[in-house]
Amino acid sequence: MSWRLTPLVFSVVTIAAWGLVLGVLSGRAELVVVVLPLLAGLLRIGRERIAAGEWSLDRVVSSVRVFEGERVAVTVTVRAGAPVPLLELFEPLPPGLRLVSGHNRGLFTLRRDRPIQWRYEVECVRRGRVSLGTVRARLWSRAGLEARDAWAHAPAELRVYPRPLPLRRLPSPRRMQAFVGNYVSSSVGEGLEPGDIRAFVPGDRVRHVNWRASLRFRRLFVTRYQQERNADIVLMLDTLTEAGSPPTTTLDASIRAAAALATGYLARKDRVGLIEYCGPFRWVRPGSGRAHHERLFEALLRADVMFSYVTQEVALVPRRILPAQALVIAISPLLDPRFDKALVDLAARGFDLMVLSPSPIPLVRPGLRASARADLACRLWALERSARAAALQRLGIAVVDWDPDQPLEAALSGWRPARRRVAAR
Amino acid sequence: MTVHSLAALLALLIAGYPLLIARSTTVAALGGAALVVCVLGILGAVRVVVGGIVLALAEYALALWIRGGPPRLADAALLGVALLLLLESADFGRRAHRAALGPGVLRAQLGSWALSGALAGIVAWLATAAASAASAAVRLPWAPAVAAAGATIALVGSGLALAARRAPSRD
Repeated sequence: MSWRLTPLVFSVVTIAAWGLVLGVLSGRAELVVVVLPLLAGLLRIGRERIAAGEWSLDRVVSSVRVFEGERVAVTVTVRAGAPVPLLELFEPLPPGLRLVSGHNRGLFTLRRDRPIQWRYEVECVRRGRVSLGTVRARLWSRAGLEARDAWAHAPAELRVYPRPLPLRRLPSPRRMQAFVGNYVSSSVGEGLEPGDIRAFVPGDRVRHVNWRASLRFRRLFVTRYQQERNADIVLMLDTLTEAGSPPTTTLDASIRAAAALATGYLARKDRVGLIEYCGPFRWVRPGSGRAHHERLFEALLRADVMFSYVTQEVALVPRRILPAQALVIAISPLLDPRFDKALVDLAARGFDLMVLSPSPIPLVRPGLRASARADLACRLWALERSARAAALQRLGIAVVDWDPDQPLEAALSGWRPARRRVAAR
Repeated sequence: MTVHSLAALLALLIAGYPLLIARSTTVAALGGAALVVCVLGILGAVRVVVGGIVLALAEYALALWIRGGPPRLADAALLGVALLLLLESADFGRRAHRAALGPGVLRAQLGSWALSGALAGIVAWLATAAASAASAAVRLPWAPAVAAAGATIALVGSGLALAARRAPSRD
């Protein structure tokens, strides 16, 4: 980019021309003299041009991995090899970031080898990978008569993870797995909860002898304990469609709920998997532990609505991804009938299935102009959702309706497992 | 805010000065309009400030025409310096609006304006002195025609000089 004259120059020339015209028309020398300083000011053009390579910048962000709603401080350090009269820097913010303090535009006067720092704070409003890349710059002459556009590339990527919603009580799975966990299972073996008493047989540990029963019946008895098992939880996320406007779409609400459920179940030592259903499937194999927690959050980070004509069957999901004894928690606004079909398919295969449905109505309603027609449309929509949920419940699928403006825990507290099982269709 | 205050003060000076020359309702009305437009421009766009200055110059011309008398060239030169500073400060205020200002930016800018104002004033004073000396030495019967020709030459020269200075960057 080359130096160019700014509109200020043309403003000066316009005023000078007007002054000269008035001077000639009125025959007064003062109006000509008024113009002289303006024209003299133009003599400064071309005296402050500097080369673009004579300044550079670095950017540091306070944290590259944050949760939604957290703040990040961005510090930009600008250095110059030669004096720069006036440097304007502008950092365009991606839609996922919101400025909360300071300014993302700045004017600086640089001296040789004396770096200056520019700091501002942004709030991460929506999950995703956010790139802070190019800083736009404009070098101004001191008088503002000339400018030169430039840019500086200082890459920085923020990973904004979904904010987990507070959740203390989780839906309990009906079936357990073979690994040690926090659920007291019906089968007896090693554990903490006493379950049964039986006669002593060689090989039993002495510490398991139930002395009270042994003294009473005058033969040895041992106590058996309920086994403590974990469970497999598969979160199935509907990314076929979404409603609402960012950062409060049904998908955003679903992802926050999925993050909360994954965090809660992993804390209970359960294995948690994730299936993203966007026509084709994308999945994360069930696992446990801290590393797996990060793996799930990475998957949730990139989850997005992807249009596809492909509709895959649930049968295509491998058993290692969707174990037979798993509790499947499907999170869906129930907007796309393809997801309903997948739910029916899962229930028909005998999975322990629960549907958490973030309602799109409270997310869409604020964007509509208040009118009787909008109210009626929302009521009809709510009725349609109720009818859809009732149809699923008749097939033995438990559906929990969740208003995303309300706590998730309140919605889950009303969940009761469905009694009836679906007939194969 | 400081820059906006400075620009508003200069606008008040420019719009108010003609009232010291001739106190007339028309001049006052033009001055008021010029001040309002200038202030709106300071808060908005420089183009609007140019409109305000155009009104202020018309007010100044009207005041001079009403009052008549000998020319006040020193005052006119100072008014020209004020016009230049008003334009530059309004433009800088627009650029500095909602921007972080680095250390020393404002001080350096004020120093630059003081320097450029002084230089422009000196250039205007020298040119005025030279013109006065020339007009005293040479009496022309067709002076208005010479003035018009001079003004045209000055404007065309400014335009050509600006076009010539649009040179490509050195790097």
